[in-house]
Amino acid sequence: MRIQRTPLATAASALVATALLAGCSGGSPGEGSDPEGEVTGAIRFQTWSLTPTYAEYLNGVIADFEEANPGTSVELVDQPGDGYSEKVLSQASTNTLPDVVNLPPDFALPLAQQDMLYDVSQSTDMESTYFEGSVDAFRFDGVEGVYGYPWYLGTDVNYWNAEQLDACGLDSTAPPATTDELFEQASTMAQACPESYLISRVPGVGDFTLEGIDILNEDGTEFVFNTPEAAAIVDRYAEAYANGEMPPTVLNADYLGNSQLFTQGKVAWTTGGATAIADFEENNPSLKGNVAISPALNISPLYVQGVSVSASSENLATAIAFGEFVTDAENQNEFAHIANVFPSTQGSDADPYFTEDDGTPSAKARVTGFESLQTAQVLTPYSVNGAMNDYLAQQIALAIRGDISGQEALDKSVEKLNDLLARQ
Amino acid sequence: MTVTDVTAPVAGGPPAGHPRRDRGPTRTTRKITPWLFLAPALGWLFVFSIWPSLNTIRMAFTNAKPLGGNERYVGFENFALILRDDQVVNALVNSVVFMLVCLPLLTVLPLLIALLVEKKMPGITFFRTAFYTPVIASAVVVALIWTFMLDDRGLVNGLAQAMSIIQEPLPFLTDRWLIVLSAVSLTVWKGLGYYMIIYLAALGNVGKDLHEAAAMDGAGAVRRFAAVTLPAVRGAMLLIAVLVCVAALRVFSEVFIMTGGTGGAGGEAMTMVMLIQQYSRGFTGDLGYASALSILMFVVTLLPLLLLAKINGRSSE
Repeated sequence: MRIQRTPLATAASALVATALLAGCSGGSPGEGSDPEGEVTGAIRFQTWSLTPTYAEYLNGVIADFEEANPGTSVELVDQPGDGYSEKVLSQASTNTLPDVVNLPPDFALPLAQQDMLYDVSQSTDMESTYFEGSVDAFRFDGVEGVYGYPWYLGTDVNYWNAEQLDACGLDSTAPPATTDELFEQASTMAQACPESYLISRVPGVGDFTLEGIDILNEDGTEFVFNTPEAAAIVDRYAEAYANGEMPPTVLNADYLGNSQLFTQGKVAWTTGGATAIADFEENNPSLKGNVAISPALNISPLYVQGVSVSASSENLATAIAFGEFVTDAENQNEFAHIANVFPSTQGSDADPYFTEDDGTPSAKARVTGFESLQTAQVLTPYSVNGAMNDYLAQQIALAIRGDISGQEALDKSVEKLNDLLARQ
Repeated sequence: MTVTDVTAPVAGGPPAGHPRRDRGPTRTTRKITPWLFLAPALGWLFVFSIWPSLNTIRMAFTNAKPLGGNERYVGFENFALILRDDQVVNALVNSVVFMLVCLPLLTVLPLLIALLVEKKMPGITFFRTAFYTPVIASAVVVALIWTFMLDDRGLVNGLAQAMSIIQEPLPFLTDRWLIVLSAVSLTVWKGLGYYMIIYLAALGNVGKDLHEAAAMDGAGAVRRFAAVTLPAVRGAMLLIAVLVCVAALRVFSEVFIMTGGTGGAGGEAMTMVMLIQQYSRGFTGDLGYASALSILMFVVTLLPLLLLAKINGRSSE
C-alpha cells in the first residue's frame, strides 16, 4: 500500500516520533550492590578541585584504606573547580556517578530526591561520629535518610581594615557585631572619609536569616520572607547606597566583590574563611598586622562539604567503607590542619589547634571561626536554586537603586520564587 | 494465475545455455544505494538536529528536569506561565529592539565599507584585513574589552569627562537602554567585516560594462549606485538581513558579559537567550519552561524571516 504524503500523515509521523522519543530521555539509576557485602574491588573517588594542592594527602588516605582493606583499589578523580555542578549533573543524568563523590548538600539534594544517592544512615551511626548540625545538612525535607558523610566545614569571620576604621572615627577594637551597628558605623565612616566605605555588598537570602526572618514556612513549601522586617533591611541598604555609604559600583557588572575591594584597601570590611587572612596579606602586604578579626555578624554561616555514595555503585560496601574512612576523625583532623578548614567529627574540639590562639592573625581567624561553628547555621535553604537567587538579586538591585521599595521587591520575589518552588 | 517456466527461453533474450549477461544493479539496489550514501548524513541530522528539536517540543509540554524522574505532561501550563511572566515580555522587547537597531546598521554599513574597499589600489588589502579582524576575535574577549572601555572608570567615560562633555559617568553598563545600545555597538563593530565580505563577493559580480554604460548615459555616482549597484546586491542584502535578524535575536554573550550575567539591575536588559539559560541551568533547572521559551523564540525568529522572504518574493516579481 502506498502511503499518501498528506500534511495529516506528516503530522502523525511527527507525533509518533515525538512519542517514541519521549521514552528515550533521561536515565534511571541502576541497582546498587549489597551494602553489607565484602569490602573489596575497585571504586572511584571524585573530589572537587583538591589536586594538586592536596594530592599528597588524598593519595595517603587512599593508600591507608587500600592497606587496611586488602583487595580494594580507589581511583582518585579530581574535577576542576569551574563547572563542577555541570559535571556532576552530566554524570548523574547518564548514570555514571563515581562510587564516592564530593558533594555539598545543595548538590546532593536533587540527587537524593531522584534516589541516586545511598542513604548512609542505614550503614553508619552518623550521630555518634559527626556534629549534629553537619549531619542535618544532609537530611532533606521529603526524603528519608542522610545522603552524605560530612567531610569538612567552613564558616566566615569578619575582617576589618583597622587602620581605616581608626582613621575614620571608628574603633577597630570594637567593630560592629550586628547589622544595625554595621549601618551606624558605615554612616559615621562615610561622613568622616567620603572616599572609604565600610559596606560594599547587596543583601541576599542569607541576610534575612541573619535577622531571624523565616525564609520558608514550616513545611518548606512556600517562601515567606516578604515581611516588613525583611523589607526594612533592603530599604536600609538602599538608603546606604543613596547616601554614598556604599561604592556606587556594587550594582555594576564590573563590581569586583567585597573581598577584592578589601584587598585593594577600598573598603574596610569583608567576610571570609579562616584561610582568607593569608590571601589578604599575600596580595596586599600593607594589610599585614593591620587586619582586625571578629566573629560574623549576628549568626555565623555554616558551609558543609561532604562525600556521598552513589546508590548504583557496583561495590557499595567498599564505597561506604571508604566514605566512612575518609571522613573519620583522624583523617578529617589531618586534612583540617593541612587545608585550614574545620573537621565535622565529634571530639575534634579536643585538638588545641582549633581552640588555642598563638597570637598570629591566622590562628586568631581559625579559633574565632571554630568557636562560631558551635552556633553556625546554614543561612540559605538548599531549595533556593540559581534561578531563584538571580530573580531575588535582580529585584533587590532595583530596590537599592531606588526604583521600587524594599517591600515591592520582596513581594514580587516571593511570588516568583513560590512559582518556581511549586514547579520543582 | 499462471506459472511462468523460468527455464524457457524468452523472446529477444539470450539463447538458452548462453551465459546470462550482467544487466547492472537491480531495481531494489538502485533504490537503496542513494539512501545508503545519505544514511550517515541523515543519521547526523537526526541525532543532532531533528531529535533535539522534537525533544524540545515534547519537553515544552512537560515539567522536565535535568535529572529526569517524576516527569509529567502539563499540557499548555508552561505557555500559560509565559503569558503572565513579566520577565519574558521584558526579554522579548530587549531582543526585538536589539534586532531592529542592528538590522539597518548591519545591512547598510557593511555595504558602504565594501564599496570603499572594493577598489583595486595599493594597500587596500590592509584595510580589508583591518575591517575583518574583529570578526575572528572571540566574542567573549571582545565583550570583556568593551566592558572595560564602557564602565564608569573606563576609557569612554574617562575621555568624555576629561573633555568636559559629561560631568558624571554615563551608566553604559547599568542603564537598561544604554546596555542594549552598548551591546548593539559591539555587535555592529564585530559584524561589519563579516557582512562586508559577502557584499564584496556580490559586488565582484556586478558587470563593469553596466557602470560604464550608465556613466555614458550621464548617471552620477549616486545614480549609478541606486540603478546599478543596489539591484545587483539586492540578493546579498536580503541574505544579510536574514542573517542579522537571526543572529540579533540570539544575542547572548555580549549582554551577558557586559552585565556580569545579571542582565542589569532588575534583569532589565536581559535577552531571550539569557532568560532561557537562567531557567535551564543547574540541577534544578526548569527544562520544561525553558523549552517553551525556546519555542516562543523560534516563532519570534521565524516572523522577520517570513517577512523578508515575502519582500524577496515581491521584488522578484
